[in-house]
Amino acid sequence: MTRADTAGQTARTERARGVGLVGRALIRHLGSAVVVLLVVTFAAFALVRATPGNSATSIAVRQAGAGATQEQIDRIRDELHLDDSLVVQYGAWLSRAVTGDLGRSERTGRPVAEEIADRLPRTLFLAGGSAVLAILLGLGAGIVSAVVRRGPLPGLLRLGALLGASVPPFWLAFVLIAFLSERLHLLPTSGQSGPASWVMPWLVLAVPAGAIISRVVAVALADALAQPYVGAARARGRSTWSVVWRDALPNAVGSTLHVTALQVGMILTGTVIVETVFAWPGLGAWFVDAVKFRDNWSILAAVLVFAIGFVLITRLADLLQVAGDPRLRREETP
Amino acid sequence: MTGTAPSGAAASGIRLPRALMLALPLVLIAVVGALAPWLAPASPSATDLSASLEGPSTSHWLGTDQLGRDQLSRIVFAARTSLSVAAVVMTLAFVVGVTIGAVGAFAGGIVDRLVTWAVEAALSVPSLLLALAIIGIRGNSVPNLILALTIVAWAPYARIARGAVLGYRRSAASEALVGLGAHPLRVLFGHVIPTASRPALVFASTDVGAVVLATAGLSFLGLGITPPTPEWGQMLVESRPYLATAWWLWLPPGVAITVVALSGNLLSEHLGVAPELRRLRIRRPRPTPSTSPKRGRAQTAAKTGRPVPLWEMRDLRVDFDTPDGPVAAVRGLDYTLDRGEVLAIVGESGSGKTVSCLAPLGLAGDRAAVRGSARLAGTELVGAGEDTLRAVRGAEIAVVFQNPYAALNPLRRVGALVADGLRPPAKGHQARERVVELLRAAGLPHPEDVADRYPHELSGGMRQRVLVAAALAGDPDIVVADEPTTALDATTQAEVIELLRRLQRERGLALVLVSHDLGVVAHLADRVLVMHDGVAVEEIAADQLPNATHPRTRDLLDAVPRLPETRAGTRATTRSTEARC
Repeated sequence: MTRADTAGQTARTERARGVGLVGRALIRHLGSAVVVLLVVTFAAFALVRATPGNSATSIAVRQAGAGATQEQIDRIRDELHLDDSLVVQYGAWLSRAVTGDLGRSERTGRPVAEEIADRLPRTLFLAGGSAVLAILLGLGAGIVSAVVRRGPLPGLLRLGALLGASVPPFWLAFVLIAFLSERLHLLPTSGQSGPASWVMPWLVLAVPAGAIISRVVAVALADALAQPYVGAARARGRSTWSVVWRDALPNAVGSTLHVTALQVGMILTGTVIVETVFAWPGLGAWFVDAVKFRDNWSILAAVLVFAIGFVLITRLADLLQVAGDPRLRREETP
Repeated sequence: MTGTAPSGAAASGIRLPRALMLALPLVLIAVVGALAPWLAPASPSATDLSASLEGPSTSHWLGTDQLGRDQLSRIVFAARTSLSVAAVVMTLAFVVGVTIGAVGAFAGGIVDRLVTWAVEAALSVPSLLLALAIIGIRGNSVPNLILALTIVAWAPYARIARGAVLGYRRSAASEALVGLGAHPLRVLFGHVIPTASRPALVFASTDVGAVVLATAGLSFLGLGITPPTPEWGQMLVESRPYLATAWWLWLPPGVAITVVALSGNLLSEHLGVAPELRRLRIRRPRPTPSTSPKRGRAQTAAKTGRPVPLWEMRDLRVDFDTPDGPVAAVRGLDYTLDRGEVLAIVGESGSGKTVSCLAPLGLAGDRAAVRGSARLAGTELVGAGEDTLRAVRGAEIAVVFQNPYAALNPLRRVGALVADGLRPPAKGHQARERVVELLRAAGLPHPEDVADRYPHELSGGMRQRVLVAAALAGDPDIVVADEPTTALDATTQAEVIELLRRLQRERGLALVLVSHDLGVVAHLADRVLVMHDGVAVEEIAADQLPNATHPRTRDLLDAVPRLPETRAGTRATTRSTEARC
C-alpha cells in the first residue's frame, strides 16, 4: 500500500468520525438541555409550593367556590402529594408530565395538555412566520450594511436597526394598528382570517428580532471581510459578491447563529404580548390568562413548553455551528 | 497593514464624553421623574370628567385622557414610576449578581463551577417567560414584580463580575497581596469586589433600557404596575380604545419607552463593541479623471514605438483615509519589471512595500486612494474600474500572501480554494485534475489527498505551498510574493524560497518578492529596490549589494547576520537546501 493510499484513508476515516462527533455533540447538547429544563421546572414548582395560597383548601375553594367539601380537599391533597416532600411532589408531577398528563386547569377544568394542543399550532405558525421574516430582514440589512460602504445607506440601516431594537413591540403594534387599520383600513386589527391578518403580528415580532440580527450580521460580516482570506480570494480574481457569498458570509454566519437563535427564542416568548394585542388565540395569550388567574398547573405547563422551545432553538444553533465548521468538528474530539 | 492609523487611542480619548452624551436622554428622564411633583402641571390622578379626551391645548399640553386627567403630568409621573422600579431592580441585581460572581471566582473549585452553571442556566431561559411565571405564581404586586425582574436580571452581572475577578486573580497585584500575607477578607472587600464592580457598572448603564422595557411590557399585560399609579406600559393599555381618535394618548408613552430603550442600546453599542469592529467613516476618493483605463495593449505599444515593459510604475502614490486625515503610505514610486525578471522590494515594516504592490490591484482596502500610474503591459490600472482589475487579478498578476494561516478560508477544502483561481475556469473532473497538478507543482506530497483537506489540517509550510498553487492557477505573468516566508520557521522558509525560484524559472514568471529581510531575498533577485517611508531610496543590482552606499540599505544589510563577510557562504547554504528538496 502506498503512502498516498494510507493518507487518503486517514482522511476518509477522519471525515467519517466527523459525522460521529456531530452526533456526540448532539447527545451532549440534548443532555444539558434536559438538565436545564429539569432545573427550570423544579424551580417553578418549588415556587408554587413555597407561595401561600396554594394549600389543598385554597385550591379547592378556587375550583369549587366557598362550598368546597372536605372530600374534595382530601382528593386534591392526595392527587398532588401535598403531604409528601417537595421532591416527591415534583417527581409525581414530572412522571405524569412525561406521559402527557399536565394536570387540569384550575380555571377551565379541562386537561392542560388538551388546552396546549389546541393552541400550540397557532403559536408555532405565528412564531415561525415571524422568525423567517426576522432572519430575512436581519440577513438582508446586515449584508447590505457590511458590504455597501458608501453613501447614506449603511448609516440609515444602522440607525433603523437601533430604533427597531428599541421600539417596544406592544407600542409598535399600536402604531401599526393606528395607521394601517384605523386610518388606512388596509389590515384587520385581529383574528386569523388569512394573510392580511398575519402581516401585523408577524411584523411586530420580526422587527426587533430582525434589527438585532442585522447588527450582529453586519459586525460579523465586516469582520470576516477584513480577513486575509477575503483579500486572497479577491486577488484570485473573484468578484465582490462571490467573495461575500462563498467566503465571508459562511464564516460570519457561524458566529451569528447563537444570537439569531436567542432572537428566535425571544420571538417565541414575545407571542405572549403579540397574541394579547391582536387577540390571537394561541399559547401566549393563554399563558397570560393563566398568570392572571394564578392557574398553577397551566403556568407550570406553559413554562415547560416555552422553555423546551427556547432551549431546542438555542441548542440547535450551537449544533449547526459545530456542524458547519470543520475546525470545531475537530475540537469536539475529547 | 500599513497606513492604518492607531484609531484605538483616539477613540478612547473621546469615549467618555460621547458616552455621557448618549446617556443624556436617560439622565434627563431620570431628572424629570425625580422632580415630577414640582414639574408636573397637575396631579396625575386629578380627574375632570368635563374635560375628558381633550386634544393638546395651552392648558393641557398633551391633552387629557378618558377621565380628564392631564396626560403630560401622567407621563412625567410615569417616568418616576419606571425609573424607581428600574433603580431598585438594578441595585438588587447588581449586588446579588456581583456578589455571586465575585464569590464564585474568588472561591474557585466546585463553588465556581456551580456559579458558572447557574449563570448559564439563568441566561438560557427566556426572561419574559420567567418573569411572567414568577408573577403568576406569587401574585401580582409591586414587590413580586421587583422580585421577578431581579431574578431575570442578575445573571449577566454575575458573569461580568466573575470574569473581572478571574482576571484580577491572575494579575501580579493579587499575587503580591497574598504574598504579603493580606487577610483573604481584606483582599475580597478591598480589592476583589471593587474590581468586579467596575465593569458591572458599565453594563448597568446599558441595562436600564431593558429593565424599563420589561416593566412596561409586564404592565401592558396587566401585570406589574396597576392603575391608578401611572406607568407608560399601563397608560398604553388604557389608550387602546382610542387608537383611531386620540393620538396624544398612545403616542407619547411609546415614544418615552423607545427613547429610554434607544439610549440604553446606543450606550451598549458604544461601550460594548470593540473599537476595531466599529466601522469608520470610509470613503474612496473618486479616481483622478486624467488617468482613464486604456484597453488594447498592442495599440499603446504601437503608438509609443518603444518596447512596453510588463509592469511599470510611475510616480505611484497611495494615501490612506483615516479618522485623523489622510496618511501617505507610498509617496511617488517608480520601477519597471520585465518578463522573467525577479525584483525584490525590501524595507522595514511600514515602508509601503506591500501597499505599493496591492494598491494598484485594488487590494489595499476601501481606504486607499491610488494616484500616479501603474501599467500592466501598457494598460493603465490606476483609476481602472473593478471589472478591469478583476480580470487582471489572478490571471495576469497573482499574489502569494504573507500569512498562510489567515489567507485560506477555513471553511473550504483546499481543492475548492485552488480551483477558484483556475483560468480558464473549470468544473468537475477537469478542474480536479488541474488542481491536483498545481498542488503537485507546488511540491505538496499526496496532492490528491491534500485537495480534500481543510486548511487547518495542514502545516504552515504546506499551507504556503497551497497559496502558491492557488496563485499559479490563473497562469499569471507576474507573481507578487508578499513576505512569503515571515510566518514560517527557518527550514520551511528556505524550502518555500526554493520553490518560488524553481517555479519562476520553469514558467518564466516575473516575480516581485516583498520582504524586510535582505538575507532571504538577495540571492533570488535580479534587482533590489530598497524602500523607506514610502519612497525608493536605492535600486541596485543584486550582485552589487555589498557595495551599496545608501544608509537605509546598509541598515538592512547589517540586520542580516553574517551577510557581509560570507556572501559566497550564503549562496552555498542555499544550494545545499536546494539539493535537499
